[in-house]
Amino acid sequence: MLEKQESAIRRSAALSLMDHVVCLRLSGTNAFEVLDRTCPAELHLRDTQMMYTLLLDQAARPLADVFICCDDEDFLILAEGMEAAQLRDYFLSQTLPAEHIQVDDLSQSHGLLSLNGPYAWEVLAALLGPEVIGLPYLTFFHLGQTTCIRAGKTGEYGYDLLLPREELEKTQARLIELGQPLDLELAGLEALEQCALENWFFNIRREGKADLTPIELQLQWRVSYQKEYVGAKALAERRRTGPRQRLTCLTAADKLAVGDEIQYQGQGIGQLVNAGFSHTRKDYIGLALLDTAYACSGIDAYQTSALIPVRTVSPPVINNRSMHVSPQLHSYGTRDQFEFPPLLIG
Amino acid sequence: MDPKLSTKIQQRDQILDRVRQVLIDNLKVRREPDEIDPDTPLFGTGIGLDSVDAVELVVSLEVEFGIQMPNDAMGRVTMRTVNTLADLVIEHQEGHQNA
Repeated sequence: MLEKQESAIRRSAALSLMDHVVCLRLSGTNAFEVLDRTCPAELHLRDTQMMYTLLLDQAARPLADVFICCDDEDFLILAEGMEAAQLRDYFLSQTLPAEHIQVDDLSQSHGLLSLNGPYAWEVLAALLGPEVIGLPYLTFFHLGQTTCIRAGKTGEYGYDLLLPREELEKTQARLIELGQPLDLELAGLEALEQCALENWFFNIRREGKADLTPIELQLQWRVSYQKEYVGAKALAERRRTGPRQRLTCLTAADKLAVGDEIQYQGQGIGQLVNAGFSHTRKDYIGLALLDTAYACSGIDAYQTSALIPVRTVSPPVINNRSMHVSPQLHSYGTRDQFEFPPLLIG
Repeated sequence: MDPKLSTKIQQRDQILDRVRQVLIDNLKVRREPDEIDPDTPLFGTGIGLDSVDAVELVVSLEVEFGIQMPNDAMGRVTMRTVNTLADLVIEHQEGHQNA
């Protein structure tokens, strides 16, 4: 079942119900100021643009993996890793007494559907019209009460539909119907997480729980050292002292499991914090927290404590079909007329 | 650590440093070298390069390392992160040593 789901994400299109994502709307006179104080990245967003960042605690450990969407004067927050009430409290705790913000939990009134795959755009265009094809990455638009967001964490074309709860079931059924000619599958969180792992997308439920800062996680591109925010001091201090470990991607022919020790010549050099079997590659992918001296791609001298040889690699470990599929040229129905490069790398 | 492994890691680190410097000097990426992690995406999210930058990156890497970037579908695969660019440089250097 998981194999079919992963295959759909990699080769056609998959539909997912995103109940694990919390949706909030920040509004009010000081919404920008409060968000800017909590967001570790430079908050340069125009209307309908969005960014991919984190929310940190005071020790600079990730609390949530978030997309911030600038919606006129308001901000939509799509977050994984925190409950809606926790997220609401987080923003309110950063609000000064004289400031005014309103935090609405959209998860109560709205649901989120996600389409991922090299032909996800084709399913969505059948529902919303061909203009969705031109929607740039990390932007969104409203259509009636539905918000269509171009994002995704699988390395393939990815679209999220935020829509009222009463529309959810009907829209889901319609997408399944429209996706039938494209062999659309329903994909669960496990399949999405495996694809995210293959494409080096951060997982707040795995490596995000390993007590690490964005420096060890190789997520410095999501933070700025030029502004004040929650966790900024701790992060600057970690940068000054230098990390002792760094997250490193590796592959293995035999089973890898979270918690496995990684060794070099019998000596422990790190531990796996995320791992899973890739049905696309037919091997195991892992993320290991390795001592910085050993955290290097292209090394095949390491093994697990169960003596399984591993090779450190440069992710992504998939040659995403979406990189080679153009909505202007291709369609799922004519895919056999084109020769695409193999999905496997290395 | 075995000297052979140590040398291999050092060589990659040196290549990564040179790629980072290309990004900063030629593509005007406003980051300090230590802020550019090896597996940071270059396009889309991450450093946020665009298609114009891609042309500049190809030219800059040819000048810096004397490598010809693959002008096919696999070219896109090699330009995904700093580390994938380092893979290409290392492959090129090993090819020259074995020739």
